[in-house]
Amino acid sequence: MIDSLYLAWRYIVFNRKKTITLITCISLITFLPFALKALLSESEHQLMSRAATTPLLVGAKGNSLDLVMNSLYFSKEEPDFITMKSADEIIDSGLALPIPLYTRFQAREYPIVGTSLDYFEFRHYKIEQGRAFAMLGECLIGADVASKLNLSIGDSILSSPENLFDLAGIYPLKMVITGVLEKTNSADDKAVFVDLKTAWVIQGLGHGHQDVKKMEEAGAIVNQSKNLVTASSKVKQYTEINTDNLESFHFHGDPSIYPLTAIITIPQDDKSATILRGRYLSDQQDQQIVRPKEVIEDLLGNIFRIKDFIDGVVLVVAIAMILAVMLVFSLSLRLRQKEINTIFHLGCSRATVVQLIAAEILIIVLASGILCYLSLLVLQHYQENIVHTLFIS
Amino acid sequence: MINIDSLSFSYGRDGFQLSIPQLTINETEKIAIIGPSGSGKTSLLKLISGILLPQKGSISINNVIINQFSDAERRDYRISNVGFIFQDFELLEYLDTQDNILHPYRITRALTLNPEVRTRANNLAKEMGIQSKMKSLTNTLSQGEKQRTAICRAMLPKPKLILADEATGNLDPNNKTRILDALFRSTDKQKATLIAVTHDHELLGRFDRVIDFKDYCLLDAA
Amino acid sequence: MIRSTFYSLRKLLLVSGVILASGNSRAEEAAALNIVTVNYPLKFFAESITKGSATVNLPMPVDIDPAFWSPKADDVSALQKADVVLLNGANYAKWLPKVSLSLFKMVNTSSQFSDQFIPIESAMKHNHGVGGEHSHTGNAFTTWLDFSLAEQQATAIFKALSKKTPNLSASYVTNFIPLQESLLAIDAELTQIGSSLKGKPLLGSHPVYQYLKKRYQLNLQSVHWEPEDAPSKEQWETLKKILKKHPAKWMLWEGKPAPETVTKLEALGVKSIVFTPCANKPEKGDFLSVMKMNTENLKAIVNEK
Repeated sequence: MIDSLYLAWRYIVFNRKKTITLITCISLITFLPFALKALLSESEHQLMSRAATTPLLVGAKGNSLDLVMNSLYFSKEEPDFITMKSADEIIDSGLALPIPLYTRFQAREYPIVGTSLDYFEFRHYKIEQGRAFAMLGECLIGADVASKLNLSIGDSILSSPENLFDLAGIYPLKMVITGVLEKTNSADDKAVFVDLKTAWVIQGLGHGHQDVKKMEEAGAIVNQSKNLVTASSKVKQYTEINTDNLESFHFHGDPSIYPLTAIITIPQDDKSATILRGRYLSDQQDQQIVRPKEVIEDLLGNIFRIKDFIDGVVLVVAIAMILAVMLVFSLSLRLRQKEINTIFHLGCSRATVVQLIAAEILIIVLASGILCYLSLLVLQHYQENIVHTLFIS
Repeated sequence: MINIDSLSFSYGRDGFQLSIPQLTINETEKIAIIGPSGSGKTSLLKLISGILLPQKGSISINNVIINQFSDAERRDYRISNVGFIFQDFELLEYLDTQDNILHPYRITRALTLNPEVRTRANNLAKEMGIQSKMKSLTNTLSQGEKQRTAICRAMLPKPKLILADEATGNLDPNNKTRILDALFRSTDKQKATLIAVTHDHELLGRFDRVIDFKDYCLLDAA
Repeated sequence: MIRSTFYSLRKLLLVSGVILASGNSRAEEAAALNIVTVNYPLKFFAESITKGSATVNLPMPVDIDPAFWSPKADDVSALQKADVVLLNGANYAKWLPKVSLSLFKMVNTSSQFSDQFIPIESAMKHNHGVGGEHSHTGNAFTTWLDFSLAEQQATAIFKALSKKTPNLSASYVTNFIPLQESLLAIDAELTQIGSSLKGKPLLGSHPVYQYLKKRYQLNLQSVHWEPEDAPSKEQWETLKKILKKHPAKWMLWEGKPAPETVTKLEALGVKSIVFTPCANKPEKGDFLSVMKMNTENLKAIVNEK
């Protein structure tokens, strides 16, 4: 058998172009259903594991999928805003605890997630390096953000303007990194976490600036009446928060109307969850409460229906492929008739010829299997990103 | 001793018929077969080697009638006793010279590939002047080199009967002599019988006997 | 109306206790609670209720007014480790909006009476950049000087801790009742003093007596003096102007005033008494003894012929 394998190997090496084409075709057709299955199971895992551990989500009425995708996976579909008042109402209801989220801004393509410290406890995360954000302007970054941007504690990251022509005055905020989250294999690896208030500072709802009264000498005062000072743009607005200017940072207006994109809502028990859900059913409500698990199950249902269809297509293609491969082999046998005759002439049986062909098929199938396996390994390495790009980004 | 008795063979369609009433070839005899193209010279070699079966008559070797063997027995007989140098070499293009020479050892259990065989293959190649081509694919070889490779392959299992179909056909005169010398030397060394189909009439003097096939090939009267 | 706390988590105490308690294992319940408060009155209330079954910390040094403490990141990290953070509410602790603390762990002790907060309107409005016209205003925050409110704050703490550690609630009840009685007794006594004063004009050395003034109907006007600093010439002039319209004979001081200031005030016919808000830990005694002393000091005005 070893000699047959050797001869088959020589044949394959000699006909390398044909062999590579064959191996590629067989690998591809084998790889496709496995890859599809792996990607779907990864997306199911990524989408479901998080959805299942997030009991309820409150957000603005509208596309519930957008709400879930934005809140759980920080996708770019931005739901309408709700306000901090909604979180107050959840607390007031006595039925649940809220974890507010504000995921509107980005820092170097990574979402900035404004939330409370409770988020990390809720998700059972450990901080790999450093500590959680403690002061305004500090941030905690996901493991991938740290590795991809080569950032660590003490470095800083700048929030991006919402668009290139953002002239409205939303200043980019330089945020100091105080910690790096452990790898979580979730969207949190690709996020920059800040306190809600820091997110509001990015939006300009809170700011720090030089003392307006002290600017009088500097000519920064445009107009001054008994109780109103109008200052010019000479008043320096800080774009980073540090120990020297922290004192000057302040917020304006009623914090209860400050924006949120969603509230992760943790009910006390099933009964509380039911009561709470009932409160959002009214038509007058401009908010909705969803069970992320249900929303994701719906999405996965659709994806699996598509998968069934693709499976069918792959099956047909596979059958066509097998027929084509059989044709290739039978044509190859014809081309090799002279060689087969030689083998007969030298004194070999038909079984030897069968053995030689079998060895060749074995090598091709094995090589295809290995190539398919290696491709699946590569896919496995990138599937998290692929799924993230396909379904989340 | 090869004894052919009342042999009749035809391919059935094209009207060709080979008929040999009686032919005896002694051990260690070197026979040259000549005759016009299509006269059945190659067919005779194939009949003697058991590749083809006669419709009538018998071919016996040392009093054993080989055309009564089963397929397997004929294959065993062929692989163990016959070294066949085919007219068109029948080399495998995907193997290099060395692997072509060793090829019979890789496709049958009757022959065992061991270091001694490899050494012998190298010596044979050296003798044939193709040792530098051992790692070359056959499609890079000249006709003469291919022929020598085919001879090496046939000689390697030390056959008792060497059937050479135009073994010197594609060689220049110098090489012809050299190859034939090598073939004769090997035949002598192995005390083998040589039956060579040839058109080279100038070489006929070196053979023990010459059989002219025009006497045996009968065109079907029908 | 501006919300009581930055997070506006008014009823957190009702919910967080239940959920956190239900989520905790028995082992965690058995461990002593780590409570942090933003001022001394809340620390005193929490200590009185827990009586050694919990550690209660006031994170800032004793010589700092807790309302104006500026914690460093390390201080905040320590605060983040607390099981419960008791907030005063009413914009108390200006540092709160600048730090990150768990929403679940914070208990706003004044959320029940946010409608009774007293706004401060004096700050200058200004206008620049994003956000339009605004001022850095807020609420008066020494809520506990209204002892009926102090009692509500203590009640809020009692309820929150009972929810948080239900296994200790029986001992909390036992401990809370005397505290409640003491606070209500001071409230009753101050109410009595307030009515006895019959609108007698008084001065406050600093604007910290808003709730005291309102609850006990004191005719009190405050200046911006510090007990340890000698007032400037301008400050004396301002006082003299006030005295013309508001002929007060007594000034309430946050701390013991400098003797020179006392002497100079007496020359203007104004006597000094100490009524300390006791925002940070007192050198001697505790919250109740200090408040009793404050009450006694006020009585001196009533007893004056």
